[in-house]
Amino acid sequence: MNTQVQNPVSIGHSRLLLVHKLYHKYAGMLLGYIFDVVKNETIAEQYLIAVFRDAIHELNEFANEDLSTFCYLHAITRKKLAEYFRDTTYHNRESYNSNNKYLRQMSFEQQFVFCGIHWQGKTTSSLAAELNKPEESIRKILKDCFTIIRNSN
Amino acid sequence: MKTQEYIESGILETFVLGVATEQEVKELLYMKAKYPEVNEALQQLENDMEKLARDLAVEPPSGTWYKIAQEINAVIPHQETAPQVFNRRDNYKQPEKETSKADQYIVVEGESSHMRLHKSWRWVFAAVFILGKIFLAFAIYFYLENKHTQEQIQELKTEIRLLKSK
Repeated sequence: MNTQVQNPVSIGHSRLLLVHKLYHKYAGMLLGYIFDVVKNETIAEQYLIAVFRDAIHELNEFANEDLSTFCYLHAITRKKLAEYFRDTTYHNRESYNSNNKYLRQMSFEQQFVFCGIHWQGKTTSSLAAELNKPEESIRKILKDCFTIIRNSN
Repeated sequence: MKTQEYIESGILETFVLGVATEQEVKELLYMKAKYPEVNEALQQLENDMEKLARDLAVEPPSGTWYKIAQEINAVIPHQETAPQVFNRRDNYKQPEKETSKADQYIVVEGESSHMRLHKSWRWVFAAVFILGKIFLAFAIYFYLENKHTQEQIQELKTEIRLLKSK
């Protein structure tokens, strides 16, 4: 019978390796998202570091099947950016990434809703108030945005 | 609410973007567990999110992982504070072994097959490439020149032979 208990040092090391694997796979994707929000390379890198530093405490959650690994990391990133979203005045439409092929295919209203939620941290209720529409309509617009992303090559 | 109606409502989209309310999240997790169509639609949206993120990805600066590892190492347990490994053999007193040099190092095997280089190397590569082209041009020139000379020598030899025969 193996009576050897794993040393916390090796547990820590294996957790670090897991975070490294996550970093290797998703860091670029998350940094791209953060950069599109904060528009500053140094600040974006600082947020990325904060996300992966916190990820080590959430490794058990990644095994949870409620959300994919990327979406879970994205959720952590959004939590980290919450303060930034609160403190920053919203950009106007011109500040949206004009090189984004998905946004180019969206109407002004769709861009407003998708960018508002994804890159500016707005909620469906705040957008509903801004556009003077019910929340259901905002969700429908959001759904159409995802259909565009899905069908785009 | 019917399943298809639920999928079409856009709640799944708010969930993957992280703006669903607590009540909506609870309801969605229930629907996801109960209806495979909802689960499937959610997975598709997660793929869409990854697709969007992949297209807008930015390569992190080379030192970023080192900074993260340093910060993580500061919070995970260290050797000094770690409790001893429980091992039955420890119950029997054994003479303390001297730690070998090899034990003091951790073998690290890189996963990536790629290599990072400083940007200044691109000028070196460009210079090597241009020099390569120049040498190739010279080689072709001298080869043709040599061939031409050989032909001329051959012609002269023929002429001499003809003159001698006369």
